[in-house]
Amino acid sequence: MTTQHKLIKRLIGSTALAVALTGSAALAEELRFTVWTGSDAHLSMLNGIADGFKETHPDVTVKFETIPFGDYVQKITLQLAGGNPPDLGWLLESSAPTFVDAGVLADVAGTLKGTDGYDFEDLSASAMGLWQDGDAVFGVPFSTSPFIVYYNKSLYDAAGLEHPDTLAAKGEWTWERLKQDAAALKDGDSGVWGFQSVDGQGYGSRVLHTLIPIIRSYGGVAWTDDACGLNSDEAVAAISLYHDMIFKDQSAVPPGEQGDFFTGNAALTVTQLSRVSKLKDAEFEWGIAPLPAGPAATASVIGQAAIVAFAQGKQKDLAADFLAYMTNAENVAVMAAFFPPARQSVLEGDAFLSSNAAVTPEQMKIVADGIANGAVAPGHVAYPQIDSAMRPKFDALWKAEAEVKATLDEVCAAVESHL
Amino acid sequence: MTQTAPRTKLTLRAREAIAGWLFVSPITIGFLIFFVGPLIAVVGYSLTEWNLLTRQSTFVGMDNYVDALSQNPDFWHVLKNSLVFAAGLVPLNMALALTLAIALSRPFRGVVIFRTIFFAPVVTAAVAWAIVWSFLLQGESGAVNQMLAVVGIDGPNWLRHPDWAMFAVIVTRVFKTVGLNMILYIAALQSIPRDYEEAARLEGASGWQVFRLITWPLLAPTTLVIMVITVVGSLKVFDHIYLMTGGGPENGTLVLAFYIYEQAFEFFNVGYAAALAVILFVLIVALTITQVILKQRSQPQ
Repeated sequence: MTTQHKLIKRLIGSTALAVALTGSAALAEELRFTVWTGSDAHLSMLNGIADGFKETHPDVTVKFETIPFGDYVQKITLQLAGGNPPDLGWLLESSAPTFVDAGVLADVAGTLKGTDGYDFEDLSASAMGLWQDGDAVFGVPFSTSPFIVYYNKSLYDAAGLEHPDTLAAKGEWTWERLKQDAAALKDGDSGVWGFQSVDGQGYGSRVLHTLIPIIRSYGGVAWTDDACGLNSDEAVAAISLYHDMIFKDQSAVPPGEQGDFFTGNAALTVTQLSRVSKLKDAEFEWGIAPLPAGPAATASVIGQAAIVAFAQGKQKDLAADFLAYMTNAENVAVMAAFFPPARQSVLEGDAFLSSNAAVTPEQMKIVADGIANGAVAPGHVAYPQIDSAMRPKFDALWKAEAEVKATLDEVCAAVESHL
Repeated sequence: MTQTAPRTKLTLRAREAIAGWLFVSPITIGFLIFFVGPLIAVVGYSLTEWNLLTRQSTFVGMDNYVDALSQNPDFWHVLKNSLVFAAGLVPLNMALALTLAIALSRPFRGVVIFRTIFFAPVVTAAVAWAIVWSFLLQGESGAVNQMLAVVGIDGPNWLRHPDWAMFAVIVTRVFKTVGLNMILYIAALQSIPRDYEEAARLEGASGWQVFRLITWPLLAPTTLVIMVITVVGSLKVFDHIYLMTGGGPENGTLVLAFYIYEQAFEFFNVGYAAALAVILFVLIVALTITQVILKQRSQPQ
């Protein structure tokens, strides 16, 4: 009888303890933060910022969840639709109009402007453009990253060619010059291509990021509010140059082939600063140069990504607090190592130029100049539809015998039905 | 006494019925929750215009169906692609499966090794299969084209050429799935008694006659099963297309299942996607019933 009593008491005791434990676990708050980077360097930097937040919010843990870039928007949307939204997340500029318009982003203006020492005015107005609607603020760009040229210095030196950044300083770095260099550096026997499109996805999800820098420097645009510009004379000339690189010179990595700059299999590529982390173990010398000039201008194109809080999140205030913490001047300076900031004070400071040990201050200056002169890559409320309508038409362009102008007329017809 | 007897009988029956229902309840409940429930829900969604991102849903009746069938030219293009894929895959798959099964149904030294080789793709992860093949099928540096170059053939850029991409996804899909059908055929072939063939041989029948008049008719039930699952599988194909071509080039391999995915998860048009899913469901059911009826009609001969 007594043993039974003891057993029952123990059972009650352990159950109570278990309840207490789960209860206290529920008290410790967790913020779920979705990102598309899987890079250790990026994630340890982000976790460092989350640890700093613990000083003022000891019970709050921030969990960064990596979703691959290609699936990112879709997975986030499903989580939102399924009633299981992340608290915070990264969002790319091309998704901004759609998400702001759908009302799924939390307005964080009150928190940002009410946080001591946040200095909202320090955020560059042009960078904030996509993320503001009147007084409402739906996100803060953590990365306002211009597209820049990466070149393989070892290959340039072996071929005795002048470096792109040297040429740029003399004002001789043009798309025509890049085309010549790519053709000269291509070496079929050793499997080295001259030029790789943005992240090697220039025939798929990154077709615009690959073409827009050329198009803008030739004086063209992707689209305006009511018209498609991709079949203008300027755009046709720009895209013809790239088409010739693929099929006439056979210097650019063609569709369906692999040739990665970061493993030394392409001499040149265009992409952003954050890809420096891929060059940590590179077995070749490399350099950075600004985007080449075209007949019309030296156009700098910025790819932007912001931190947003989701309107459906269960801990909106806490999420907004973390957003404010993450984008304060101190943390923006930390993130600047990979993600060029939208804060003018950080951008103009000398600390930014030496924020990444792998990048020289002179190289970082190229990035800073790109931000100062840059315009954000094209976006639209109906971007998913435009992208999907446009891509099958672009497919027809990636053939040797394709008529560039006629194909671009088709692309524009597809784009205009969604503008 | 006379009154209570039938009552107990009824109770016994009811008891048996209850026991019976209890025995089938796990699968029935599962079927209702995971199949009938979603199916009804999808039919319900298909009558709405529902944006996944804004979470706004309005009832629109049959608009989605009208839109798909009479207003959206994309739908017919996509349906045609699906049917071309099925028409290419099913005969190729079945012919190859039967040929392999005949070659590998009789025991010989190393037969297990050959069967394993042909069956291995079935258990290979679909993702790995598709990615490895997309490397092999690269334009110039792909292994397939380099082998063709040895014999003097200048191969196309398989997955990037509008005319060749469909062919390439069909053939690689056949290699992936043929092993299962081969095993089904081997099992069926081994269950045919040897006596029939021996008797026919004694009567002087040739190998072809034995196959046409004895083996093939006895394989009919298996052929029907294989045909049904292969047709259904080919109309539902998604992962293979998603990984190898993404529906391109120029929408040349955009099949119905992939189009549904695109509508629902890239454009967030859940209602329209649900209507397309219902159309696909009806199409598959109709094709399956047709096959069964056709087979039954040809049976008496």
